[in-house]
Amino acid sequence: MDIRVLEIADLPYVQQTNLTNLPENYFLKYYLYHAISWPLLSYVAVDISRPPKSPYDPPRIVGYVLAKMEEEPTDGIPHGHITSLSVMRTHRRLGLAETLMRSSQRAMVESHGGQYVSLHVRKSNTAALHLYKDRLGFKIDKIESKYYADGEDAYGMKMDLEFIRDELDEEDAAAEGIDEGDAVGDEGKAGKEVKKEKKRKVKVGRGLGVGDLVERSEVRS
Amino acid sequence: MSQTLGQKEQSLFQQIAKHYENKQHKRGLKVADQLLKKVPDHGNTLAMKALILNAMGQKEEAFALGKTALRNDMKSHICWHVYGLLYKDERNFEESLKAYRFALKIKPDSSDIQRDLAHLQIQIRDFSGYIQSRRAMLKAQPTLRTNWTALAVAQHLAGDLEDAEKTLSMYEDILKVPPPKTDIEHQQALLYKNMIIAETENYERALEHLDIISKLVYDKQLVMELRADYLLKLNRFSEAEKIYRILINRNQENRSYFAGLVAALQLSESQPDKLTEMYAEIASKFPRADAPRRIPLDFLKGEEFRKAADDYLRRMLTKGVPSTFSNIKTLYQDNEKQAAVEKLVLGYAEGHTPNNTTDEKAAKEKESFHGSVLYFLAQHYNYYTSRDIPTALRYIDQLIEKEPKSVDYSMIKARILKNLGDTKGAAQMMDQARSFDERDRYINTKSAKYQLRNNDHTKALDTIGKFIKADATGGPLGETIEMQYVWFLTEDGEAYLREKKLGLALKRFNTIYNIFDLWQEDQFDFHSYALRKRQIRAYIYMIKWEDQLRSHPLFTRASIAACKAYILLHDQPQLAKDEPLVNGTSADSKAKKKAAQKAKKEQEKTESEADKKAKATKKDLDPEGKQLLETQEPLKDAMKFLTPILESSPKSLPVQEVGFEIFLRRKKYLLALRCLLATKSLAPASPHLHSQILRLQHALETLETPLDAKALKTFDTEFKPLLPAPAADLNTVNEDFLHKHNDIQSVLAAVHVRQVLDPDTNRTQAPQDLVKAIKQDSTSLQAAQITLDLLNRWHLDTSSYVTAAHERWPQATAFAAS
Repeated sequence: MDIRVLEIADLPYVQQTNLTNLPENYFLKYYLYHAISWPLLSYVAVDISRPPKSPYDPPRIVGYVLAKMEEEPTDGIPHGHITSLSVMRTHRRLGLAETLMRSSQRAMVESHGGQYVSLHVRKSNTAALHLYKDRLGFKIDKIESKYYADGEDAYGMKMDLEFIRDELDEEDAAAEGIDEGDAVGDEGKAGKEVKKEKKRKVKVGRGLGVGDLVERSEVRS
Repeated sequence: MSQTLGQKEQSLFQQIAKHYENKQHKRGLKVADQLLKKVPDHGNTLAMKALILNAMGQKEEAFALGKTALRNDMKSHICWHVYGLLYKDERNFEESLKAYRFALKIKPDSSDIQRDLAHLQIQIRDFSGYIQSRRAMLKAQPTLRTNWTALAVAQHLAGDLEDAEKTLSMYEDILKVPPPKTDIEHQQALLYKNMIIAETENYERALEHLDIISKLVYDKQLVMELRADYLLKLNRFSEAEKIYRILINRNQENRSYFAGLVAALQLSESQPDKLTEMYAEIASKFPRADAPRRIPLDFLKGEEFRKAADDYLRRMLTKGVPSTFSNIKTLYQDNEKQAAVEKLVLGYAEGHTPNNTTDEKAAKEKESFHGSVLYFLAQHYNYYTSRDIPTALRYIDQLIEKEPKSVDYSMIKARILKNLGDTKGAAQMMDQARSFDERDRYINTKSAKYQLRNNDHTKALDTIGKFIKADATGGPLGETIEMQYVWFLTEDGEAYLREKKLGLALKRFNTIYNIFDLWQEDQFDFHSYALRKRQIRAYIYMIKWEDQLRSHPLFTRASIAACKAYILLHDQPQLAKDEPLVNGTSADSKAKKKAAQKAKKEQEKTESEADKKAKATKKDLDPEGKQLLETQEPLKDAMKFLTPILESSPKSLPVQEVGFEIFLRRKKYLLALRCLLATKSLAPASPHLHSQILRLQHALETLETPLDAKALKTFDTEFKPLLPAPAADLNTVNEDFLHKHNDIQSVLAAVHVRQVLDPDTNRTQAPQDLVKAIKQDSTSLQAAQITLDLLNRWHLDTSSYVTAAHERWPQATAFAAS
């Protein structure tokens, strides 16, 4: 298994994995919109255990998390949103969902100053609910009535990301410890600046065609 | 003719434009009609109306109107601009480009036209045109940073790294005050500049630049990854090591981090002890991590391997990880490792004793471990390098007996049946697995796939339909097209090809072709969006990905299948007319016809219901692909599929092989030779080469018009050396080859040549050589099926062949007694 940041060339395969696993599906363009707008937030788990067959072997994506930042947060607080997360049935019990989610959350904090992350889950999807609540630490924030196209309600869930900020600070401290004043240390300073300014509101790209087009498809199913 | 509008009309015209921009098409149309009542020939208004109609989906009317508009006012930049937009929408980029250029000539300072022209230029990769446009845009608005970045992108994509970097630096130089640290555009432009420097392969400078900008960007992990990579390339190992360790602390499953660390420590597989030590240290720090435990299995050997594999397998099987087998099967490329793993896991199975403990928890754990072991063994004996199907069945049946409703167990059993060639039983078993967990889409997808492998289109659509909303336009099939289910369309099309239903097969392959066109078109909006979103690096990756979009294996598979369908149509034109005789029973085909009619009716019903709701969705006038079959030149049509795959996947053997077949039939002998030579370099021992060489030589010997001098020369130097002997009799060469080879593929190749050299004789002889080949252990079920298909195509008597194949694979649906 290889867990790494999603690359644009992965997109068609991520789309096929989504179609294989989940009832909520999207056009390729919607994946492209994520990968271009927030290139560091989405992650894939790639099964690398197959002997290569040709120079054109596709990455075998067995799990992915597709994530974004809320473009205009109504509460004014920068935060991330999980658009889609899934792991193939054949690759359960490896903790992939957790690693994917943690990687994405870290990038939300580090690159975008995200303070919490939100997601939606079908009320009836007890397995996913269990994963988010008990394994990953999400809390139910609200019930969104008739969120899905078929009329089912969604739980709006949230998770605070302050603990990741702490983790990153610890990492900085450790890095400075082994590597005084070097560029890694400088990195650390850059990280701290993010912290100081974490209340900042980054306003980017609204009403830009692509956004319009793809937002609509988000709640398809 | 150009007309000037009064003040009132002028304001009406502006309203139209506003409505169009706000996508209020009905309103816009109303105002346009109102205005046209007063000035019926007004070019610009007609053009705007055309634009609105086009946006509403009335493409033909829009185009006609756009032409009229232009005729009425050839000097209007609006009319030309609209004309260009209409062409662009039709994907006629060449005409669109011309129209934009005319428009820009009339109104050189129009930023709208300039922008549309620029986006089209980059879409079609007209780099020099794009650079020119970007220069003009920068000149018009030099204070916008985006314009500088965009020019750099244009230069970068054109391959001019030096100028790209200069352009970015020039903007930095004119910045009087450094931007605040929260300026994302600045951050991303700096990272982009670093990317350009790195592409010059001057890592010294890239590192230097990265060190300066690292203070200014938030994307710390990215900076660490870049930095470690540059350090490694500069042989600054200890610094690289430190960063890779930090990265591994963040993510213990990223293989490139481990590869980086190994390189930084200057370790290689010749020092397994040191490597093992390194991985063990990381593993002990991260008790849940998989990679540091799994990677050593790749390089360890002998007893060391056995020990490590034992630890690893016990750990995974105790946890009950269902992917344990698929995770280690790649080790089976090494026979010794395969044997060692087999011995270990068989040992676990033997070590199992019936429960005599009173500790309930321990007993349960023991049972679960034993279950994982049997599950592993069932897969082990089903895998092609270690296949022993009766044993695999014994293990899986044992598990199913204990837990009859397990999805995972039934799924493996279905896979075993598939390897027996029992496509029907496999589909039934997979559908049973599906029924045990109807809310899981993964198993639903698997079931539909197995149904398609069994050529059961109706059931497959029913199956995936369970996860598709009832009111989807065009039913489940419409949804698969709309939502880009490339996997489904490929499998569905391949099934139709197996059934020789060429119209439907080609229909599916064309749908896939169109999806890839759409994916190519998808990038259009991002030419401006990515710049506004500041994500330049991501944009560059998108361009690079789009440029090799069609190397996608499913595009290749579908296109090869489409070529095969066209070859069939060429070789057997009656297939376009006949009701295909699958298995030759007419009663069967009658029932199928009935079912097809029923399905069609239902489809029409759902379609008409959906139509009521749908606004202006275009109806497919040829859902069965009948028009595709009416072609007079199937091989020419095939070029639509062959050209892109030859270009994007030249190293694929099946691509070159199908290319040869098409060019040979089209009498394009030089192109056929090119495919043949490519095949030779990819697979020098391929038996297909024998048939290709002889058939090409036969074609050259029986030419109606001789080759020109240049072609002759090429054949003399490139092709002649491949022939066994100059002026040899091809029949003799072929028979010699048959004497020397007895594997099924070589025999088939020789039989193929015989068919070409002398199609009328040896009608019963051919299968006898193949019947012998069937009995060899090395003959695969798949090869036997391909052979049967070709024998049928040559109208050879297959009865003894099928009997032999049935004996060898009694469960195989393909050879079932009819």
